[in-house]
Amino acid sequence: MIRLANICKHYLLGEVVLSILKGVTLHIAPGEFVAIMGPSGSGKSTLLNIIGCLDVANNGAYHLDEIPVTHLVDDELSNIRRTKLGFVFQMYNLIPRISALRNVELPLVYAGIAPQERKRRAFEALERVNLADRAGHIPAQLSGGQQQRVAIARALVNEPSVIIADEPTGSLDSVVSAEIMDVFTTLHGQGKTIIMVTHEENIAGYAQRILRLRDGRLESDEKR
Amino acid sequence: MRSAFSVCGMGDWKAMKRGKGLLRGKMPLGTMLDICLQALQALRDNRLRTTLSILGITVGIAAVMTVGAVSEGGRHLIFTELQTFGLKTIWIYREPAEKDPRKAVRSGTGIENADYEAVKNARCWAVKKISPVVLAKGEVLLVRNGHRYSNAQITGASADYLAISNDTLQKGRSMRDEDIARNRPVAIIGSDVQKDLFTNDMDSIGRKIRIGGKNVTVIGLLGDKHHDFLSSIGSAGGNANSRIILPYTYLQQMRGNNEITYFQIETSGLADTDAAVSQLKEILKRRHGERFSYKAETMAQYIKTTENILRSVTAIGIIAASVSLFVGGMGIMNIMSTSVVERTREIGIRKALGASRSDILTQFLFEAMLISLLGGTLGLLLGIAVGYGLAIATGMPLTPSWLSVMIALIVSILVGVISGYYPAFRAAGLKPVEALRYE
Repeated sequence: MIRLANICKHYLLGEVVLSILKGVTLHIAPGEFVAIMGPSGSGKSTLLNIIGCLDVANNGAYHLDEIPVTHLVDDELSNIRRTKLGFVFQMYNLIPRISALRNVELPLVYAGIAPQERKRRAFEALERVNLADRAGHIPAQLSGGQQQRVAIARALVNEPSVIIADEPTGSLDSVVSAEIMDVFTTLHGQGKTIIMVTHEENIAGYAQRILRLRDGRLESDEKR
Repeated sequence: MRSAFSVCGMGDWKAMKRGKGLLRGKMPLGTMLDICLQALQALRDNRLRTTLSILGITVGIAAVMTVGAVSEGGRHLIFTELQTFGLKTIWIYREPAEKDPRKAVRSGTGIENADYEAVKNARCWAVKKISPVVLAKGEVLLVRNGHRYSNAQITGASADYLAISNDTLQKGRSMRDEDIARNRPVAIIGSDVQKDLFTNDMDSIGRKIRIGGKNVTVIGLLGDKHHDFLSSIGSAGGNANSRIILPYTYLQQMRGNNEITYFQIETSGLADTDAAVSQLKEILKRRHGERFSYKAETMAQYIKTTENILRSVTAIGIIAASVSLFVGGMGIMNIMSTSVVERTREIGIRKALGASRSDILTQFLFEAMLISLLGGTLGLLLGIAVGYGLAIATGMPLTPSWLSVMIALIVSILVGVISGYYPAFRAAGLKPVEALRYE
């Protein structure tokens, strides 16, 4: 379902061309749980952003569910993110002023779902991460682990086929990290494709497949 | 919990491949409402800042409204005053600023009783009523009653004069044709003359006063006329309540000539003033040849002149007030730009969650519109309040019209859209990766 062919990404820093990805070719099948690892500056986050349609490659071809993503414009990418992808970030990225439930509802707002249906589905997603009792709290009233679970609920609410997680446990202690990883494991068991960036070996250990990047190239691809 | 997640959206990928299908054509009403609610929330979160920008627009709209109301009130006031003279009135007299020295050298008013007869006999269709007017100007006709004196304007006229100049009588009777024909010593006096010559409780009707050493019987008392604004304009000038009206024939007899100072005419219709002027000038020219030239003043002319003056005054006022509205708009642009920068990360999150450009644009544009619409509504209320305050303080009739209310609201929405557009456009164009990375 995810096919990357010779993906290149570079940035211009003044006159200097900074090459981040130097031709990455990759297939990810539906239902896989993939961890992307590598030292900082290896391009793992950039690769994840491209897979998550938050960024576009300069070169190469990317097909998501047979859609040639590399040829899409801004609003079309928004549409792909809205329908096919769910995001979990290191810093949770919840909107601070609104309740957990409203945060989870957001993707449905942009999908044009009616308010009643939206509320029902958002509540259901919060139940899945065991946070239904915190639906009315704003992010500041929740712990880091709880915020991250709200973020996971938000990523799930649109029923996406792929979940993109950028260091989802990066800001959490080991106990809470384990809880969060259990949630991901459950989701994987339910058939979700999960693509996660991490720099912690034990977190990567939850995945079935580990991709290692070095200097913008795929160094290894181990399946377990 | 559901056992498995369906792979969503597989069905619509063909539509996606077509490219265009990816863009949602029309935003559902629910989404629209939600985005608007979010905008409201954002405004509530920055209460002080929002209040200040609302205030900017409030002041601007109130200023524009007040200028509009004052000028509208002024126009109404002036029009009411002009109407007290009769809108169909024209005056014809010898050109006072004669340029031709051969004409200027001739003395006299250039109009005499024979001219009046000729005009009457000509039966001009545009002329409904005409009165010769003789002013006792530049000569000493002392007006007194015992030891009480009056500095009244002495006007000789015919029986039609009161009707032409929109004058009414409080008491007594008007002049009759036989008073004119027989040079009768009768007078109609204004209320100020009554105060000058009689004590408060005395009825002046039927009493004799002395004018230029002759006994004249008071037969009528004029109704009061108020026109402070116009008291200095042309032949309409002077204190209208300090007039003594006599048969013009009697005044001519006192002065010992048959000169008429001017004709005062009521035209048949509002549109007939030009025709009446040319008909009368034609008769006078036929009778006097090139000896004199004549000038006509019309009420329509006055109205046009005052309207022109008012229009320029209003325009200047509106421009001045618009500056404050413009500054208010800049305030909105400023606050929205700040807001976009502050919420860069939030915009990134929203875009990551699938918000389209138009979703973001709508949200920020709506915030700007809400600020300016709130400001506009408050400004409208303030403007109306100031208008009523002025009306009470000055006695000017102020009428806030529905039109100005509509215009104020539309203008404030426009100000919001225009000043909010650039910041909103910038927000919508943010790239999600960069926005998410923003600290």
